[in-house]
Amino acid sequence: MTELLAGRTPGMTLFAAVVCAAASLWLLLPRGQGGRTERVSRWLGGLLGVAALVGLASTGRRLGGLGEESVFLVVSIVAVVSGAATVVCRSPVYAAIWFALALAGVAGVLLVLGAQFLGVATIVVYAGAILVMFLFVLMLAQPAGLAPYDRVSNEPLLSAVTGAVLLGLLTLAIGRMSAGPPICCRMPSKAAALAGTEPTTSPASAASDALAADHVARLGAELFGRHLLAVEAAGLLLLVALVGSIAIVSRGAADAGTAGGRAAT
Amino acid sequence: MPIDSPLTLLVLVPLLPLVAALVGVVFGRRLGGWAHLPAVAGIGASAAISLMLLAGTAERVKSASNDVDSATSVSVEGVTTLWQWATVDHPDLPAARPPAAVGSFSIPVALRLDPLTATMLSIITCVGLLVAIYSAGYMHGDPGYPRFFVLVSMFVFSMTMLVAASNFLLVYVFWEAVGACSYLLIGFWYTKPEAARAAKKAFLVNRVGDFGLAVATFLLWMTYGTLNFHDVTAADGTLLPGILGPARLHDAAGYVGGAVGAAICLLLLLAACGKSAQLPLHVWLPDAMEGPTPASALIHAATMVTAGVYLVARCAPIFVACPDALAAVSIVGATTALVAALIGTVQNDLKRVLAYSTISQLGYMFASLGTGTLLGFSAAIFHLVTHAFFKALLFLGAGSVMHSMGGVIDMRRFGGLRRIMPVTAATFLVGSLALAGVAPFAGFFSKDEILAALHGKGWPHAHAEHHEAGPAHHAAVGPAVLPATGFSAAGTAADFVSDTRVDAAAADSAAVVLDRPATWRVLFWMSLVTAGLTAFYTFRAVFMTFTGPTRVPDEAGHHAHESPLPMTGPLVVLAVASAVSGWWLFTTHALADFLAATPSFAAPAVAATAVPHAFHVDLAVQGTLAAAIGIVVAAFGHLGRRSDGPQLERFLGPLRTLFAEKFYFDPIYSGLIVKPLQALAYLAALIDRLVVDGLVDALARLPAGLGAIVRRLQSGLLQRYALAGALGTLLIVLALTWRMRS
Amino acid sequence: MTPAALLHDALLVGAILFALGLVGILSRRNLIVMFLSAELMLQGISVSLVAWSRHHGDWGGHVLVIFVLTVAACEAALALVFVLQAFARTGRLDAAAWQALREGNLPRTVDRGLPAVDTLPPTFPRLTPAGVEPAADEDELLEREHV
Repeated sequence: MTELLAGRTPGMTLFAAVVCAAASLWLLLPRGQGGRTERVSRWLGGLLGVAALVGLASTGRRLGGLGEESVFLVVSIVAVVSGAATVVCRSPVYAAIWFALALAGVAGVLLVLGAQFLGVATIVVYAGAILVMFLFVLMLAQPAGLAPYDRVSNEPLLSAVTGAVLLGLLTLAIGRMSAGPPICCRMPSKAAALAGTEPTTSPASAASDALAADHVARLGAELFGRHLLAVEAAGLLLLVALVGSIAIVSRGAADAGTAGGRAAT
Repeated sequence: MPIDSPLTLLVLVPLLPLVAALVGVVFGRRLGGWAHLPAVAGIGASAAISLMLLAGTAERVKSASNDVDSATSVSVEGVTTLWQWATVDHPDLPAARPPAAVGSFSIPVALRLDPLTATMLSIITCVGLLVAIYSAGYMHGDPGYPRFFVLVSMFVFSMTMLVAASNFLLVYVFWEAVGACSYLLIGFWYTKPEAARAAKKAFLVNRVGDFGLAVATFLLWMTYGTLNFHDVTAADGTLLPGILGPARLHDAAGYVGGAVGAAICLLLLLAACGKSAQLPLHVWLPDAMEGPTPASALIHAATMVTAGVYLVARCAPIFVACPDALAAVSIVGATTALVAALIGTVQNDLKRVLAYSTISQLGYMFASLGTGTLLGFSAAIFHLVTHAFFKALLFLGAGSVMHSMGGVIDMRRFGGLRRIMPVTAATFLVGSLALAGVAPFAGFFSKDEILAALHGKGWPHAHAEHHEAGPAHHAAVGPAVLPATGFSAAGTAADFVSDTRVDAAAADSAAVVLDRPATWRVLFWMSLVTAGLTAFYTFRAVFMTFTGPTRVPDEAGHHAHESPLPMTGPLVVLAVASAVSGWWLFTTHALADFLAATPSFAAPAVAATAVPHAFHVDLAVQGTLAAAIGIVVAAFGHLGRRSDGPQLERFLGPLRTLFAEKFYFDPIYSGLIVKPLQALAYLAALIDRLVVDGLVDALARLPAGLGAIVRRLQSGLLQRYALAGALGTLLIVLALTWRMRS
Repeated sequence: MTPAALLHDALLVGAILFALGLVGILSRRNLIVMFLSAELMLQGISVSLVAWSRHHGDWGGHVLVIFVLTVAACEAALALVFVLQAFARTGRLDAAAWQALREGNLPRTVDRGLPAVDTLPPTFPRLTPAGVEPAADEDELLEREHV
């Protein structure tokens, strides 16, 4: 199906996909309308979004086996659609929920890519910790019903066009690069670099390394061996962020009492 | 002939007033009503030292003239070099004329002592002291009391440095310094618009003359290769002759004539005209009367305005080398004397009468200087001395009247003041008699000498015959100390010119133009008429002020009274000096003989014109007659009950308007110079505002306009900024993709 | 499945997520949604990094993603604190509430007149009560009026 849609002019397909993506995002973004207009634009935007997705997918490569391909397709569609819903959803609470779903999709993609640890960690850290924190904040700050600022967007057309054009450019670049990867993207192995010969290890063999059974152990060795200093720095960063947030909250509480609403212009 | 020990005293003469000025600057406010003490003490000590120096120099002159052979002229000179101000060695310096061989431009701060300087120093410090004492009474209670005395001290310092400096550049420096002091004192009451305007006018008009002095200094340097007055012995023993040093004075070819010499002389004359308020630069002096009266007495009557006379006298040898320039000096002087006297006859402001009188008397001095004879030079300085006394006296008297009348100086508004202020009236009368040239008073003798000098140029053969015929017509009052080499002024000057290495023919033709007896006869008659006019306006002022029914303006209130002792004391002292100085100096020839020992006057070209001291009875009769006619006419017009009537002015008709409008000098200058310059300035301002500023403004508006467009983007909405950033990134990615399209 | 194809498609998914996040950041006014969009962009980056890591057989991409997670956690903590502070001052979660940074003489940007929201009360399913209806606490009803 993708081959059919790609047709003979992949450039045109990509252009159409970009236009569809921009139009779809513009239609889906909250623009302050209500009632029927909103419903129509939601449907139209959804359709155009699907069209854009199909167009973009048509520029992709055919994956090997049907199983893996379908799994990748499903999880990536989940990630992309949930991401789009996160962005366009009026209610921040729903947006957060959609984001959680998008995280699940992303975790799936990571798993397909062989990064088991990261896939799980994404779910745990993001969905388990960060997102819950967002929801807490929403509970503290979100007023009843839809706030006016949730019903309008800032320059929706320009933003949508910017995002779509950027997406198109990236797709173009990715397509060209994977057709013939530039020299900068080739990574010579260390032994080959020392021997001054062409890399003998193919990417596939390296991938099998990443997909090894003791994947997590190797990642841990890498992390706490080669990147130990960075790990320490990251730990320090976490500590500083912790201390900083507490300090700001405690100071800000005093400030908000005195200067409450002064900056509300 | 150096004078060794007095030279340290000489340094003290300017130094003490400078110290007084500095003390006044630092402690003036704290001293308050006692702020006059430093000035009085400093100037007093300076005056005492000056008189000592004068006596010492006189002693030196006497012993020197006894020592040397009586056939040669004596010159007395002492120079002390304090430090080298500037020394520049440069191969491009002008080649000095032989015998001078100067390889470097060097300005020593050198003070000199010779009879002329000693005389000037004494006059300046003595009058300065009297004025300082007088001011203690006159300026009492003025908010600027300390400032006044600082300025007076500064002025005395500058003026003494001016007459003591032995270098043209130093002279120029202090020429400007006295001008600055004059400016500050004219504008002393700077909140008064007239005073501020008058100060500005004086300063600007003086700039014209200062320009002349500056260019003259350049020319002197280019011509003579030095600016020193005195000779300098270089380190290797060679003698570098100064411009007015003995080496050059006794060198027959020492001075250039012709065009360069005439240019130097005329530029020096321009400088002197500016400072001494001679035609056509006299317009500032009457307006300068806006300053405090003591300052007018000191600066604009007695001392500073005589700086021009001093300069010409000091440069006598340079002028003698150019007879046509000398004649120009006389013509300017006599014309100024006559014009100023005519204007003075119709002035109603007492101080302005005195101001025009000052201009007129200075004109006399210039006329006398222009004769180029030793008699003329010494007569000019003689008149300078007596004039300093009686004009200071008159000004201080006018100040006393003004003080008593509550600041009113219009003679029509008061009268009969002799009953209220007898001391002032008596001393003023003495000063007026001296100014008018009535017989035993100072002005009579000095004016007589000036007339004699002019007469000698106008009728040279008559004088020569007189002298050869013996003292039949002239009463020779004393023995001739200096040798008389016969009266041949014109001939000597002509010989001198032909000696110089310049175009003798041009010099002769120039000499033919101006330096003819007929010219001098006209000048003589002009001076005689001026003498009559002087007597007239002087006594017109006396009669209008002190005779007639006693009237006092309202401003005086109930305290119209005689002035206090600090004011009347100097008046009496000056009155005595005005009464006797002329008689004493004339009969003993003390001043003339003394001055003859000045190097500039001892130059052969000048000394050769010496004549025996003589009392010219015919000239005295003519002068006295003119004065008598003036006084009688003044009495007829203004004595007693007629003191304020316009009786005489009726007869003048349109001339009266001409005189009252001061010969329309101010409107002419305004129309010819000030207005066009103002128009030019306005045009320049317009161009500046529209074109230059317009360009700059347009350039300035460019970024402002761009900013006005760009600042509309500063909406404060963070997401718009983020959008702009994203669009920028997009552009970069686009460009990169475009490059990678391959 | 070929590694090149996997890399390509994974990169495509990352790019789409990144672009969506960008659009969200640029257009959505709610501060919370803006941060969610930012996290979405980070997810796109993470997918790309892991894809490259897989392609090259290098652990660098994985390590980088771990650090991205760390930094994202810090950022989220601090950002939420700031959002709370902002909310305490303005009472809104509106990014456009901080317009005081604009040029002095520019007019304030205001939203055009929005159509009224459907003010119909939410319809809840009517169930036949079973058993005894518990006594509703008035305070609790006030707190949960829009749930």
